[in-house]
Amino acid sequence: MKILLSEDEPQLNHVLEAAMTAVGYQVTATFNGQEAYEKAKNESYDVMIFDIMMPIMDGITLVKKLRQAGDKTYIIMLTAKAEIDDRVTGFDSGADDYLTKPFSLKELMARLRSLERRSDEYAPKVLEKGNVKLDTEKQQLSSTNSISLSNKETDLLGVFMMNEGKEFTTQELFIRLWADEADASADEVWVYISYLRSKLASVGADFEIVGEKGGSFKLVRKGS
Amino acid sequence: MSIYGDCQQYLQPILDQVLAQIKQLNDGYQQRTGAKLYEHLEGRVKSEGSMVEKLHRKGYDQTPTAALRACKDAIGLRIVTNFIDDIYTTIALLKAQPDIAIVKEKDYITHAKPNGYRSYHMIVEKTVNYPDVEGNFPGKYFIEIQLRTIAMDTWASLEHEMKYKHDIKNPEMISKELARVADDLASCDVSMQTIRKLIREDQ
Repeated sequence: MKILLSEDEPQLNHVLEAAMTAVGYQVTATFNGQEAYEKAKNESYDVMIFDIMMPIMDGITLVKKLRQAGDKTYIIMLTAKAEIDDRVTGFDSGADDYLTKPFSLKELMARLRSLERRSDEYAPKVLEKGNVKLDTEKQQLSSTNSISLSNKETDLLGVFMMNEGKEFTTQELFIRLWADEADASADEVWVYISYLRSKLASVGADFEIVGEKGGSFKLVRKGS
Repeated sequence: MSIYGDCQQYLQPILDQVLAQIKQLNDGYQQRTGAKLYEHLEGRVKSEGSMVEKLHRKGYDQTPTAALRACKDAIGLRIVTNFIDDIYTTIALLKAQPDIAIVKEKDYITHAKPNGYRSYHMIVEKTVNYPDVEGNFPGKYFIEIQLRTIAMDTWASLEHEMKYKHDIKNPEMISKELARVADDLASCDVSMQTIRKLIREDQ
């Protein structure tokens, strides 16, 4: 994993960098928010770890600026302040997790391992089900034939392929995949289900998405 | 002497007849449904030069029988449609024609070639009011028919261009991109097909 660290205390900065590098992470160490912001603008990271109290630009401002710029990287805040309000401010400005100083290095490493598992195991790049392969990176669906999918089709089919036999209501799918779009309507769920049905048929898939317009949908093996 | 022998004189008239026959199918379909069956229709008689070259390449004799029986594409036509479904509708209508018999079919739409090529290929045998190379009357002539959507047609012409250019700098990369874009076009074709279906269901 590539990690961006920002911590102004030289000793702690050094310890964190050494510990994370020792287990094979690529660490970019910075000493203030401004420096971290410049790095984050030019390179992508898997995790960012920021201290809150830093000179030039503090951690809260840094998180806010990154989120405003559209950066969605997982961010862990390090804070000496254990006050609830400070944690809340951290979360509200866009942080995903926090550790209160003094924290145990073991705990930080465990959290990083947990994140790593999540990104590797829980978001597989190639999903396989029946005679079908879905490459979520190339957005390609293949079986006896192959076809490209749009972002949304890939995400929607991913939900079904990871949950064979589970029923999803139109509303659940809408909230799950269309939540960010202000002008979307729940009718789009049916349109995308229709696209996927045609595309699954066109590659000769041995499963299908069953359900009626506006109702619930699930993935089932053909003929079952 | 033509490579097609005495039959050479019948090839263009047969092509014209089959083109007219398909146009008529389209007219009938349009009257019934209000939609057209295909976007365009074109045909050709394979040139003498190309046929001679093909016979040589395949190791066949340079005879009219080989040119008209062993080779089955002396007369060829292509039907280009707007939507994938139109291809299968057209095929069903062709199969219902009493003077047309299906000899061979290859569905490269359901099973695209590894390079991304998609089309539906048919060899049919049409009974005509002319003698054929074996002396039968009415005679029988093979016709090769390719059916594809506009997107598949555009892709095929791009692929054709690449195949005949030998100075392409990065052929592997271009081939990979062609295969990918073929999947993208298939995706568009299937999406448009789906939208048309949704519109029609709403009516």
